Amino acid sequence: MTEPLAIHTTALTKSYGRFVAVDSLNLAVPKNRITAFLGPNGAGKSTTIKMLLGMIRPTSGETMILDHTISTPNTGRRLRERIAYVAEDKPLYGYMTVEQLIRFTSSFYPDWRSDDAQRLLAEYRLPVDKKVRSLSKGMRTKLALLLAFARRPELLILDEPSEGLDPIGIEELLRELVSQAAAGVTVFFSSHQLAEIERVADHVCILNHGRLGLSAPIDDLRQSYRRIDFVFEAAPSARELAVPGIERICSSGRQVSVLTSRNADEVIRRARDLSAVSVEVSSVPLREIFLETVRETPEFVKER
Amino acid sequence: MLWYKAWLETRGRFLACLTTLTLFCFVFVHHAQEIAFRGDGLARPGGTADYDRLLFVNQQFLVIMWVVSAVLLGMGGLVRERAVGVSTFTLSLPVSRSRLFGVRVAMGILQSAAIAILPWCAVFLASSMAGLPIRPSQVSLYIFLILGGGLSYFAMAILVSSFFEGEYTAPAIAFGVVLLTAIAFDAWLRPFSLWRLIAGDLSIDRRTYLLSPAFPWRGVLASLIAALFLLLVALQRIRRRDF
Amino acid sequence: MLFQKLNPALGQPLYLQLMRQIQHAAETGALRDGDQLPGIRTLAEDLVVSPNTIVKAYTELEHSGLLELRQGSGAFLKAGRRTRSITDRVQLARRRLRDLIDRLREEDLHDEEIQRAFEAELLATSEISRKR
Repeated sequence: MTEPLAIHTTALTKSYGRFVAVDSLNLAVPKNRITAFLGPNGAGKSTTIKMLLGMIRPTSGETMILDHTISTPNTGRRLRERIAYVAEDKPLYGYMTVEQLIRFTSSFYPDWRSDDAQRLLAEYRLPVDKKVRSLSKGMRTKLALLLAFARRPELLILDEPSEGLDPIGIEELLRELVSQAAAGVTVFFSSHQLAEIERVADHVCILNHGRLGLSAPIDDLRQSYRRIDFVFEAAPSARELAVPGIERICSSGRQVSVLTSRNADEVIRRARDLSAVSVEVSSVPLREIFLETVRETPEFVKER
Repeated sequence: MLWYKAWLETRGRFLACLTTLTLFCFVFVHHAQEIAFRGDGLARPGGTADYDRLLFVNQQFLVIMWVVSAVLLGMGGLVRERAVGVSTFTLSLPVSRSRLFGVRVAMGILQSAAIAILPWCAVFLASSMAGLPIRPSQVSLYIFLILGGGLSYFAMAILVSSFFEGEYTAPAIAFGVVLLTAIAFDAWLRPFSLWRLIAGDLSIDRRTYLLSPAFPWRGVLASLIAALFLLLVALQRIRRRDF
Repeated sequence: MLFQKLNPALGQPLYLQLMRQIQHAAETGALRDGDQLPGIRTLAEDLVVSPNTIVKAYTELEHSGLLELRQGSGAFLKAGRRTRSITDRVQLARRRLRDLIDRLREEDLHDEEIQRAFEAELLATSEISRKR
């Protein structure tokens, strides 16, 4: 990739004894784009993010964030001034009031914007004098998001930001993300909400068992993944239809359904050579691409 | 605003302990008045020594309460935050772990100092107002003993709270250490007992009940070095640990 | 110009959908020569899509001659013959499609079947034509 990168890891690994949580990860997150980070639970997303922020010490590998290689804990400290992070579970100090927490947080960041903080306080309708521990889950989520959005960092990292938000809240969240991105912020967020991701993400990374299963611009995925449904005179074997890029073949009688990540036209040509009678091409939603990338079963499935 | 955070986190404990010790002192002095003025009062031979002995007794109680306070003030920190779930927020701030640790320790030391100084000031005040014979030099010595020797208990509590995250586990272990070391020293190393040092037992004159003006520098120095060592170990633990 | 929300479920890159909307607006006259399009940030926030999507759409349309991007001011619809000829061709194509659709309906096909067949052929043939 020739695009400038906000985050670049080289063989980043974290193992706990024999369990490898993150396995030689080569993550490349482009600058000034919105990148979504997907993966099943336990895939290592949170561990990766924590290694990026210096909370967990990698077992091996290199990390480059915002053009700085993380070598000493001190580099991490200076970088954190330029990074905004909203952790999973939205941790906040329960014993502080909303106002105290905002004042506390803002004191650490030169990029804090009071006008945006005021605007968001009003928009989210957060009670300034209430202690954080007495806020509802939705309010706490919004407060955690406010602490990140009232800044203009270079990199915004969010772990499951929409958790705890109703659809209106999610819409507001996406609008803020987009607004930050338009101001030049690199956005890197992990989410299970594929619908959200399909709307705002420029780039998608899929993590599975600590390894990168896929990393591509979302438009490339949209343009190259295809589901092609064939009807044959006589169904061919998987070997005959083998074309690089085919991820999965399902067949039943004379019907064959092919999911391919690229070379759709070559698949069609090969099928026509094998006397396909009917060809129907359709696009593949992100949910299927995701499930396909993280599944465990063998690629050829025959029914009946 | 890390000091602000440290204050918010500890002010409840601090004020409760300070109030308890100070109130105790006022009550003690009030009770001491009755004892001191028995018979001919302080004019009789050995009368003054009576009050000095009471001050020594006061120190014994204060030391117990002060050590409890110091241990309580040493609780908390990043490891406890991890158990509660907020350590990711603290660690995402652009401050080093050393600074976080340093502010917590400094706040605790200042608060422990206040809890050593203010109750004795209360004793001094109340005694003076009641006309009881109290020497500022003696009060200062008692205070220095608590601070100089007692900080290693605080440091031990910091160390324990850097390893154990349970809300009750950490203080239980810390108090356990206090108890075990007191018993162990008492059994085998009486002359080196830290507790006896800070309680004034090692420098008290049993006839006059006055603390010897020869301050036990070596004992206090050893205690301070031990405290520093414990704090450094705790700091290393915090810096190296995964959160 | 009124923008419709972009739909990821269509399986098409969002910037292409946006380009189509703008082209359609130019054809039907909703956008006239010299009209200004919304700024990247404003449109991104309105549609709740990545600003990069807006940038790609505007850039592609600039290459094809429909838009003019002026440094500092924004995107404007370009006046010119090329846009009018596109409009004519599209209008002709739509008339042809109207006839075809009428015939297919006469052959007892439902609208959804017609639409599916059209999309499938479009996707299938576009793969082959791209290689050519």
